[in-house]
Amino acid sequence: MVQPRPTVPPASPWGFPLATEHRLSNGIRVLLYNRPGQHITSTRLLVPTPLAVEPRELEGVATMVARTMDEGTRSHSADEMAELFELSGIAYGAGYGARGLTLETDATASRSAQGWALITECLSEPEFPEQEVGRHVRQRLAEIEHEAASPETRATKEWAATFYDQRSRAARPAAGTTDTVSRISSQDCARFHAQWVRPEGATVVVAGELDQTQTLRDLDATLGSWKVDGRAPQDDSPAAIVADGPARVRFVHRPGAVQTELYLGTFGPDRTVEGGWAPYPVLSFAVGGSPNARLDAVLREEKGYTYGFRAGFRPRDVGGTFIVSGSVRSDVTVEATRLTLQILQDARKGFTAEETRAATDYIGKTAPARYATADAVADEALMLESVGLGTEFVSSYLSQLAGLTPGDLDAAWARWADEPPTIVLVGDADAHADGIRALGIGEFEVVG
Amino acid sequence: MRPHYPIATHRLDNGLRVVVSTDHSVPTVAVNLWVGVGSRHERPGRTGLAHLFEHLMFQGSEHVAEGEHFAALLAQGAQLNATTWVDRTNYFEVVPTGALELALWLEADRQGRLLPALTQENLDNQRDVVKEEKRQRYDNVPYGTAYAELTALVFPDGHPYHHTTIGSMDDLDAASLTDVRDFYSAHYRPDNTVVTLVGDVEPDDGFALVARYFDELTNPAVRPDDVLADPLPPMTDPGRFERTADVPSDRLYLGFRLPVGGTHDFVRSDLSFDVLAGLATSRLYRRLVRRDQLVTHVSRNAGARVDGTSMGALIVDLTDGVQISQVEDAVGDELLRLASEPPTDSELAAVVADVERWWLQSLAQPGERADVISGSTLLYDDPEHLNTYLDEVAKVTAEDIAKSAATHLDPASAAAVVYRKEAK
Repeated sequence: MVQPRPTVPPASPWGFPLATEHRLSNGIRVLLYNRPGQHITSTRLLVPTPLAVEPRELEGVATMVARTMDEGTRSHSADEMAELFELSGIAYGAGYGARGLTLETDATASRSAQGWALITECLSEPEFPEQEVGRHVRQRLAEIEHEAASPETRATKEWAATFYDQRSRAARPAAGTTDTVSRISSQDCARFHAQWVRPEGATVVVAGELDQTQTLRDLDATLGSWKVDGRAPQDDSPAAIVADGPARVRFVHRPGAVQTELYLGTFGPDRTVEGGWAPYPVLSFAVGGSPNARLDAVLREEKGYTYGFRAGFRPRDVGGTFIVSGSVRSDVTVEATRLTLQILQDARKGFTAEETRAATDYIGKTAPARYATADAVADEALMLESVGLGTEFVSSYLSQLAGLTPGDLDAAWARWADEPPTIVLVGDADAHADGIRALGIGEFEVVG
Repeated sequence: MRPHYPIATHRLDNGLRVVVSTDHSVPTVAVNLWVGVGSRHERPGRTGLAHLFEHLMFQGSEHVAEGEHFAALLAQGAQLNATTWVDRTNYFEVVPTGALELALWLEADRQGRLLPALTQENLDNQRDVVKEEKRQRYDNVPYGTAYAELTALVFPDGHPYHHTTIGSMDDLDAASLTDVRDFYSAHYRPDNTVVTLVGDVEPDDGFALVARYFDELTNPAVRPDDVLADPLPPMTDPGRFERTADVPSDRLYLGFRLPVGGTHDFVRSDLSFDVLAGLATSRLYRRLVRRDQLVTHVSRNAGARVDGTSMGALIVDLTDGVQISQVEDAVGDELLRLASEPPTDSELAAVVADVERWWLQSLAQPGERADVISGSTLLYDDPEHLNTYLDEVAKVTAEDIAKSAATHLDPASAAAVVYRKEAK
């Protein structure tokens, strides 16, 4: 016989794992998250020099520095460095985001210290050999072509170029354009590195099964030995100023495309927003976080126009965005765009108690699983560190969830609902530009 | 270092296999089901049915309303989904411990009682959704159909692996309610299913809970034949497919027939791909990307399959202006060299260290751990695979890899798909 549907008892309260905080002898801040039972130790290091300090004509140089710091040092050639990492099974990565340079390693616990020694070498004595930089420049130029060919990446790029004021770094690709990347030389990388990549202000996060004393000793012997003379220059280049003016629509023409990519974004809050951050992940989920969310309930489950739409508030360090994106069958481009805007408009009428409960439960109750592994803990800690917050932020907004009412969601939504959207479509403009223009949803332009 | 995850197994009277791996470090349980049905079980004219069917499993069952499976679990803080591949379909969720019973109840209802809720409307809607999935992931992206083209060359017409999981638009259009019902009755059976629980539950409690909700499921009388194919020999006259398209760079795919999954031979061939293209110190990467700079990117892909023969692929993006033939020759040289010059100690050590790290890192996630257990149990009757795989890898010698390359990676046996960038 069929068993009756079980009821679910309340979940036990949960808080983000607590860190211990330390300093290395060169001033680098250390956050240790001891996670017993984790076989892999994850390390994340942030050098908080904003991307906006790049020279305008050499944009992409910061990314190039991140990609080539391990491609040859005073002590080892590029091949030797790759061998040193790989013989120890250390996964190494480096990248440059809006808030600075990040380096990461994941390694079995016994090999972590070897990883710290190697990233110290990358940070303190990179050589930027011409052959390696030249290769990475060509790889980046090829990557730009690949990005332009992907409907989603193409949409993202057009959106940023339209949404942000041209003075600000965020209007242009973080890793540079064909023009700027083509100019980058080995000397440019060395110069950027010498000026901006330094231990002052840096933070290292280590998560895994840790012996605290030994870990600190090993970190101090490696990253703690990194020293740079002199001080970094001052720079206050604008990072992310939103362009003034009305709603804008850009249709990127792709002759014969079988789908249209839709990418819509407005200005939104950061994590320090008045009223607290908690309503925003909840709204993201209710509007565009599941097949039952408002967008997919119509666009996917009712109409069958799409494989799935997503929506979410994406905070930066100051201010943020609200983004909706997805792709639809070409012949419903206009109708799907109209419906998407209608769904967002209808959200002003308010969220139901059921939606509020389901979404707050989801955000709150998924937390233990989301942060179950060392790498997830380290990633979250470093990301929050980059915007000047600690991981107590997570526990704090999670504890705010239980008290959220539909009225709180409505108020949070209303705070940003009047921000003018920037809308990008990537698809067959010959077939659908007139229809989109006729919707009258913003200043309209077709681009190549 | 080696993992030692506890494994407890049990079989219900209806043949359902249950595995529990207890881990109280997080207050969650990963629930993972593998059903022994994938695109290899599809008949001609009905490709894509296994995957379309997977979508229908979220559209309600006898006691669960349309959309309720997702809604009920998400509201309990579950992360859930399902995927379809050539050999199997998996359904999974990671839930807070308290929601384990609800998850099992929902799974049992759709695994055993889907048909009363199946409607033409649901089928039509999900067919549209799947067609958009196909457009988004394959038809509207550069090189999106290349892997399907390569697969069709590696496996001959009529072979269960000749077609891909997403299927064709025509076949998706042709799928009827009757097809869907027959498919469910043939393949969704407790004796063709594994349920794995990983996390905050003791084995006996886990077994009892699974029994409570799955014991009543029955097997249809007729079990479909599932005679596995004999291994295919390496291709003697491999196919080649070339096209010029709106792609950002020229790209070459080489496809190979590999040993069947679940064997030492497959592990050896998998590692031979790593020596060639898995790492920054791998041979193709060193030569083609770093030294000669003929290509900007090289990657490898080798996946175990149960039906006689697996498949492996090498994928390279060419530097602008470089000829395809020059790259093919260079790759061919390296394939032959691997057969005659076994990996050095450090090449082999790097590959083994890399496997150890990613294996342990992926097993750290309870959901992934459950997926590995379900898979090895369903396909190879080996629930301990997660604990023993690294030992198996450690036993592989340099000579094993050279021998495997000589047998399976002869450049004369490589199917090729070539994409050339359209002149503008």
